[in-house]
Amino acid sequence: MIASAFKRAKTLPLSGKVGLTLVLFWLAVALFGPMLAPYPVGAFVAYDVFEGQSAAHWLGSDYLGRDVLSRLLSGARYTVGLAAAAAMLASATGTALALTAAVGGAKVEEPLSRFMDMLISIPSKIFSLVLVAAFGSSLPLLLLIAAITYVPGNYRIARALAVNLAQMDYVQVARARGEGRFHIAITEILPNMIHPLLADFGLRFVFIVLLLSGLSFLGLGVQPPDADLGSLVRENISGLGEGALAILAPAVAIATLTVGVNLLIDALPGRGKGR
Amino acid sequence: MAGASSQSGMKAALSLIGKRFASSLLTLLLVSVTIFVIAQLLPGDAAQEALGQSATAEQVAALRHEMGLDRPAYVRYASWLTGMVSGDPGQSMVANMPVAGVIAERLPNSLLLAALTALVAVPVALTIGIGSAMNRGGRIDRALNIATLSMVAVPEFLVATIAVLIFSVKLRWLPSIALASEEMGWGDYLRGVAMPILTLSVVVIAQMARMTRAAVIDQMDRPYVEMAVLKGVAPVQVVLKHIMPNAIAPIVNAMALSLSYLLGGAVIVETIFNYPGLASLMVNAVTSRDMPLLQACAMIFCAAYLLLMLIADVTAILANPRLRAQ
Amino acid sequence: MSPFSRRDLIGAGLGIGAGLLLPDGALAASRPRVGGRIRVASLSSSTADTLDPAKGALSTDYVRHYMFYSGLTVLDRQLIARPALAERMDSTDQIAWHVRLRKGVTFHDGADLTAADVVWSLLRHKDAATGSKMAQIAEQFAQVKATGRHELTIRLTGPNADLPTILAQSHFLILRAGTRDFRTANGTGPYMCAQFRPGVRTLARRNPNYWKPGKPYLDEIELIGIPDEVSRVNALLSGDVHLVIAVNPRSTKRIMASRGHALLETQSGLYTNLIMQQRQLPTGNPHFVAAMQYLIDRPLIKRALYRGYATIANDQPIPPFHPYYRADLPQRSLDLDKAKWHLQRAGLTGVRLPVYASPAADGSVDMASILQEYGSRVGLKLAVNRVPADGYWSTHWMKHPLGFGNTNPRPTADLLFSLFYKSDAAWNESGWKNPRFDRLLLEARGEADQARRKQLYGEMQGLVHDHCGVGIPVFISLIDGYDRRLKGLYPVSLGGLMGYQFAEHVWWEG
Repeated sequence: MIASAFKRAKTLPLSGKVGLTLVLFWLAVALFGPMLAPYPVGAFVAYDVFEGQSAAHWLGSDYLGRDVLSRLLSGARYTVGLAAAAAMLASATGTALALTAAVGGAKVEEPLSRFMDMLISIPSKIFSLVLVAAFGSSLPLLLLIAAITYVPGNYRIARALAVNLAQMDYVQVARARGEGRFHIAITEILPNMIHPLLADFGLRFVFIVLLLSGLSFLGLGVQPPDADLGSLVRENISGLGEGALAILAPAVAIATLTVGVNLLIDALPGRGKGR
Repeated sequence: MAGASSQSGMKAALSLIGKRFASSLLTLLLVSVTIFVIAQLLPGDAAQEALGQSATAEQVAALRHEMGLDRPAYVRYASWLTGMVSGDPGQSMVANMPVAGVIAERLPNSLLLAALTALVAVPVALTIGIGSAMNRGGRIDRALNIATLSMVAVPEFLVATIAVLIFSVKLRWLPSIALASEEMGWGDYLRGVAMPILTLSVVVIAQMARMTRAAVIDQMDRPYVEMAVLKGVAPVQVVLKHIMPNAIAPIVNAMALSLSYLLGGAVIVETIFNYPGLASLMVNAVTSRDMPLLQACAMIFCAAYLLLMLIADVTAILANPRLRAQ
Repeated sequence: MSPFSRRDLIGAGLGIGAGLLLPDGALAASRPRVGGRIRVASLSSSTADTLDPAKGALSTDYVRHYMFYSGLTVLDRQLIARPALAERMDSTDQIAWHVRLRKGVTFHDGADLTAADVVWSLLRHKDAATGSKMAQIAEQFAQVKATGRHELTIRLTGPNADLPTILAQSHFLILRAGTRDFRTANGTGPYMCAQFRPGVRTLARRNPNYWKPGKPYLDEIELIGIPDEVSRVNALLSGDVHLVIAVNPRSTKRIMASRGHALLETQSGLYTNLIMQQRQLPTGNPHFVAAMQYLIDRPLIKRALYRGYATIANDQPIPPFHPYYRADLPQRSLDLDKAKWHLQRAGLTGVRLPVYASPAADGSVDMASILQEYGSRVGLKLAVNRVPADGYWSTHWMKHPLGFGNTNPRPTADLLFSLFYKSDAAWNESGWKNPRFDRLLLEARGEADQARRKQLYGEMQGLVHDHCGVGIPVFISLIDGYDRRLKGLYPVSLGGLMGYQFAEHVWWEG
């Protein structure tokens, strides 16, 4: 199986290989980063704040004189883990509901769509602000907020695709053959939605990374001394004027992670079978 | 035939608008209930927040009575709802003026910022999306792909801060804060909102462009497109005449979604540029527990979203004959 | 000697050395110049902005109120109460205070200032419907009565030598009697309200009939709030605003590097403190308190969090530059061995404790991280719980065994001790009880003799230092940033922007 995966990877275009490499790299950092970190995540190890690159601190020191590399290595798992989990949760839920709505008829679709409209029309950052103020910040809550925030978006897009596909001749033919609604949804409609939905997943992943950093802007987010990548950017923002590594490093980390995920997704053989 | 088709399109659109109106009211009601319920979960209330740290219990009780907060929750909700139905969103508990007045100061600012951003972002996104789809796999496509991805990968507060450092602090071309005041001319106003527009555009262009590309590519492999290409129709014609009508549903949906973000999602941009818009007003309302104001903001965001969605769906119906049957 | 002898003027307030009675601008190199328009950015701006001095809650409010209204007294830069609307204010027993108002002062609407206005302005603080932030203090007003068109008597419930200082606070600024509408301001202050839009801006125009001849100097001040610190500093550096409050120490390098800008550092009594609840265990165990106090790395906090813009504190709330500061208390410093020993004596080695911190209490999240780091070296596992600023004061502050508070500078030692350290004070953060402290506090309040007062407050500092469940690492300096063309600024330790009163003192050389 590993061999076949490897073979598959070899057939990817260059951009896909780059994407795969970046994704694997960040997965590795997420898994092993905390073990590799040279200093504890909260330790005050540098005398000065916003120090530049040095032998003791490869990525310099942050706004409190902590080691940036250590914080980056320890923080990546929050971003990778939370964003991946929330994006998957959001996409799976949204798409499943959209398919249900597309084949379920008006009785199913109406309440579902109203509910989604309700969720989406409450601005996500304000929604998070209220929930965090009410329940306190915790990882499961952040995951839930991120997932809830992006379910309706996925639902909208998936439903638009599904409704469109449901009108297609081959679906009508299947229906005429007397195939079950859910059978049609899964075998006829879903495979043909995969490509745009994957593109959407990639974007949702990015948005969740950004939502987490946006939340850190509003003072919500992962509990200190840990920080996700977005929070690392935020907490060091006052170093931007002096071009501190403490802000550049996590910003580059976010960019490579999100670009990597999307490059990989774009390069996947997108079109489903069975049309 | 074209006449008949456009007529049936109009009919379908009108009946959709009619149906949507009823369901919109339902959605608004649902939002108001949700907002009310989750706001009840928040610690403290308007009286406590207004009096702050220094309040004594008697003071809080007195103010609570004055604000009507000593009534049971369902009574407060009902009285708010009856007010709303009769067109009165109530009195802001904190600002001590009618909610309508508070909103009236901010809503035009938010709408203007969103409209200007849309004006910049939609054409750019469509161009990028269609352009890269037509060059699928080519150098332009890959370059645009990386560009949009990197654009969206930067947190917006970082985009905003970098822009301020370059354009206001270093070059001094643009003001670092977007003050919208009445004695300002259009020129000053546009200079003031240039960076907020830039920042918001960066956020929304990427999503819109990528969804456009995906939707167009999705259609490109279909037999009818191959037929058209075989018949020798020019590529631009193929895209505009044949592909777009079929790809339009997901595209306008993605656009409507992105654009709805411009109102409620602008809170970080409003904060950084000190722009007096609705999103920061709503954050204010949350932190001061000003329920009538919070509800009014939520209603506006919800209505704006529903309107955008309606526009998206009507556009989709008018563009794609297949959807009219629905 | 000044025209107001100390006894006449301020009873026995903080009047140590009568201070220089030069006009405020006279120390500066250049002569004030009239005209000019500046934009000032304060911390926050929201729909809760108010023109009602009694409701003032944030620096933006205080600045706004000092622009439009005047008080009976005003504090100079040594925090000594000086006459303002009150020409004289004296008392022989510190209970009955006789006030004679300045004549010929007019409100912005042209009406004359009379004793009726003052009586009304003071008594409204006792009405719960006013929602005054000073309601607790106003309870001391037993009676406020006009004794003539320009004379009145304030009778207190007990002796208080600090009354003139208390009345200089922005909440006690004087309104026209019967004012109900706060959409605009009608005061006797240096500026008139041209526009007030809550959450957006306040526009102030020069009051040509101000009762201090020649003042103010500026034609117009636009006051806005920029909550985001980086944006605030950027707005200053880009020339969009000319004066900003609350510069983060990390931004000072950027401001100092700019040729056209400068910093105004104000040493203040502001502190963020660790609260160890005394009513419950384990935080009520004196050994635990001692262990935590020895875990505080004060120089690190001063250096890393505040980049030197702070004064090392000693677990009691009176700062070293205060006239009543007691210098002979031994300074506590980081001592892991002692911390470990106390922790063992408390039987708490290896225990896991949550500590609550929030951006609402400046620096507390980072202080908690530092404590956590050192705690882990002596066998104490602290779990930092960062909670949102929103709702922190109502739901978290003083509600957990281990948490943080944040205390703004107060004009008198009495206010500070009465509000935060008296056994029955509503904000007795750690819940400590010390009868001796309470007795000393009452005695000092009515004491007119300065030397005796200093001695009493000194003993109280010792009691807090030795027995109270608070850890005060540093006093945080306030930093303002300003355009160098703005002249006449000097620090007043009560708050940024010259104790929020810059408006009447500064001028523009543009």
